[in-house]
Amino acid sequence: MYERYITAASTYAHSIDHLFLLIAALVGFWLILAEVVLFALVIKYREKEGRPTRHITGEEKELHRWITIPHVLVILCDIVIVVPAILVWYNIKQAQPPAEQTVRVYAQQWAWSFQEPGPDGKLDTEDDIRTVGELHVTVNATYHFELMSRDVVHSFAIPSFRLKQDALPGRTITGWFRPNRVGTYDIQCTQMCGLGHALMAGRVIVETQQDHAAWLIRNANPSLASLPAAPAPVPENTTMAEARR
Amino acid sequence: MRENKKLAPRQIMFGISLLLVFGFSVAGCGLGSTNAAMRGQELFQNCAPCHQADGSGNPQVGAPNIAGMKAWYVQAQLQKFRAGTRGMHFSDVEGMRMRPMAVSLASDDDVKAVAQYVESLPTVKHAPTLTGDAHAGDNQFHLVCASCHGINGEGNPDLKAPRLAGVDDWYLATQLRKFKAGIRGNNSKDMEGRLMRPMSRVLTDEDAIRNVMAYLDTLNP
Ligand code: HEC
Ligand code: HEC
Ligand SMILES: [Cu+2]
Repeated sequence: MYERYITAASTYAHSIDHLFLLIAALVGFWLILAEVVLFALVIKYREKEGRPTRHITGEEKELHRWITIPHVLVILCDIVIVVPAILVWYNIKQAQPPAEQTVRVYAQQWAWSFQEPGPDGKLDTEDDIRTVGELHVTVNATYHFELMSRDVVHSFAIPSFRLKQDALPGRTITGWFRPNRVGTYDIQCTQMCGLGHALMAGRVIVETQQDHAAWLIRNANPSLASLPAAPAPVPENTTMAEARR
Repeated sequence: MRENKKLAPRQIMFGISLLLVFGFSVAGCGLGSTNAAMRGQELFQNCAPCHQADGSGNPQVGAPNIAGMKAWYVQAQLQKFRAGTRGMHFSDVEGMRMRPMAVSLASDDDVKAVAQYVESLPTVKHAPTLTGDAHAGDNQFHLVCASCHGINGEGNPDLKAPRLAGVDDWYLATQLRKFKAGIRGNNSKDMEGRLMRPMSRVLTDEDAIRNVMAYLDTLNP
């Protein structure tokens, strides 16, 4: 249903959508019901000629029921939400399927940069590809990402993958995704991180195996290999050159 | 018969508040000075958090002293940041901080206006932060750099080489390291950067950079 408004491009997008839908339906049902009842009562018992409004304390049994019965029902609904929520959380955030590829994601004020393995498929080798603002991945492959921040707290979000993960300075957080639809999708920072936060955007390009292989060959530039790996995290007041020493 | 209702004061107040809310919500949309000088000053408010209100920069965030920097150079650099030919390298932490600020300028006219405002700011000279052999730096500078950057480091618009005299040494040294490492000036569309890059390699080590910086520190903007 949500897919009509935002593409679902990862294997777990649907389980997030179903959870959203379940929550929206249950919460929406109670919201509408409560409002209808509230307004019905307000209108029914409004002030009329010869009948002053009544002050109700809600202590009588038949009045009390208006609270206790919905209360129990809402708690039951809560359980109906919590069980699938834990399952979804476990599947997406805790159980990590084995990686077919691993990429590194660096957040900084105010850009996303990526370190991807070159044609050899291994990180931290000569042919690694380093990019800014653009992550290239193959469709139908399980990716692990190692997320780091070079300065403050950011949040790595790819709405079309239904992926969102905070990046904390000083920590490497591993997550996963498996894109299942070729296309170009937005990457956004979803944690206010300073002046340029709104402009901290990127793209993830999900391509076929052939296209990805061609991209790898084009970009596995040996001249970049001489550069040091990104020094993460760099304190605010050190220049790149100092941080490298 | 239909009663002739008068609006209650409450209803009038409600109407007025609605109008006010609407008015405030659209106020400021599309407004702004059309006068270029005023516009430049307005736009510079977005730069001041890092470059300071007087343009003198802030080493804490790596923002250079741009006060009095020539408009042609400021404009050229802003356009490079906008086009992604500067500030888009994986290791260019400071460049990536500056890039969105240049991107947020709405038009070429705005770029021009803010560049002119930067030029209008009086130059500020800071005390040296690096030490080196100014005499050796003097020789090196006049042997290589002066042909483009000018005998007194005053810059040369014809060669698109900026003023170096009076610019903070820590910033220039960082840029030289970036040129050497290919973090700046390695984009195929950055013609001036590609010109400067091989020149940076003349300064073979950190000492050579410090010496030139020590010499530049003796010059005034
Ligand atoms: C968030 C902090 C920040 C803001 C805001 C900011 N800048 Fe910068 N600016 C920087 C940093 C950091 C650099 C150094 C980039 C580098 O090391 O390559 C820089 C570099 C520059 C340069 C290049 C100077 C040179 O000598 O090459 C110019 C020009 C410049 N900024 C102008 C502006 C203008 C105009 C604005 C306002 C529209 C602005 N900046 C807003 C941080 C900022
Ligand atoms: C062939 C002409 C040429 C020579 C020689 C040259 N430069 Fe440059 N330099 C340039 C140009 C052009 C730029 C502007 C690059 C740009 O637009 O990004 C520049 C930029 C710079 C910058 C960056 C300034 C800033 O504000 O960001 C520094 C620092 C610099 N040069 C130092 C030197 C030093 C030191 C030498 C001598 C070893 C030297 N240059 C020799 C042409 C030259
Ligand atoms: Cu951010």
